[in-house]
Amino acid sequence: MQEATFLILTALAAGSQHGYGIITDVSGISDGRVRLRAGTLYTALDRLRADGLIEVEREEVVDSRLRRYYRLTPVGSERLAEEAARLQSNAYVAMTRLNLSGRAVTT
Amino acid sequence: MTDATHLERRYRRLLAWYPKAFRSEHEDEMLVVLMAGARNGRRRPGLADSADLIRNAIWIRVRPWARQPAPTVVWALRLMVLAAGLELVALMILVGTQASLRAAIIGRFPHFTAVQWQAAVHAHVLPVEIGAPIAALVWLGLAWANGRAYGWARGLVAGLFGLTSVSLLAAFAQHAATYAAADLIAGCALWLAGLITVLLIFNPRSDRHYHQRPDRHGRKPPSAAGWPAAERVSRAGGVASWN
Repeated sequence: MQEATFLILTALAAGSQHGYGIITDVSGISDGRVRLRAGTLYTALDRLRADGLIEVEREEVVDSRLRRYYRLTPVGSERLAEEAARLQSNAYVAMTRLNLSGRAVTT
Repeated sequence: MTDATHLERRYRRLLAWYPKAFRSEHEDEMLVVLMAGARNGRRRPGLADSADLIRNAIWIRVRPWARQPAPTVVWALRLMVLAAGLELVALMILVGTQASLRAAIIGRFPHFTAVQWQAAVHAHVLPVEIGAPIAALVWLGLAWANGRAYGWARGLVAGLFGLTSVSLLAAFAQHAATYAAADLIAGCALWLAGLITVLLIFNPRSDRHYHQRPDRHGRKPPSAAGWPAAERVSRAGGVASWN
């Protein structure tokens, strides 16, 4: 799973969000390191929706413009949990080995 | 005209790069996000936003139509790209082995004058010099079309493989002693890649990939029921695909 995809799913894990909300949330989650742009975001949302990982929760019209809220599907939650566990496991191994070699980095 | 109107119009021009069905589904949302992210007083889209929009629009047009094609289709697509590369490799080998080709022709026809054997070499090399780049482009085009589940593209792959087979057989029958071994090996590798590609795309496991595309009236085939991409296309107004 690509990092942008992981972060989008993570942004939706706490609840439904619209496009701009996802962008600001992803920026916050990644400490400003990942800044999604509209083209990348909607290409990813389109694909995630087609893969059944996210779905549209509701639509609103604000200032005569459509605002669509997305949320994780059960399949999306499952995939995100699997990916998070995989990353956690890798990170644990990395930190364990760094500790063993006395090169642990404190953040 | 206000700055915001100027900016929106320019964003709409960039969004025009996207397929119509994608725009009808996402354009309004994208405009909201783009306008919300733009600084006050801005009249033109930023370079990074413009590049991002164009890059993703191109990607949406060229990416495989199916979200998760069967492994048989994925491997067939890879082999088509490989076949395109092999066409060019075969061309380079032929150009690189012209000396041995010339020696073989002189050996077979010792009475040939310089003009005659040069013409004979030319007759062997020229068709490949013209045909190989064209064939490489055709293979790439077929990889794209098969990735997007066009049924006719499957038939064209079979046709191209047939042509490859005929030309290889002709090369063996008429000029096997003339070509260098490397030329014949490259030809055989290309033929083998074509054969495996045909077997893969006509494998029953590839059928779902080709049957998922709605017909020209936007009707979904029965096998595509519940397929997310087909559902999305239907919601987008019965348009056959994103482009």
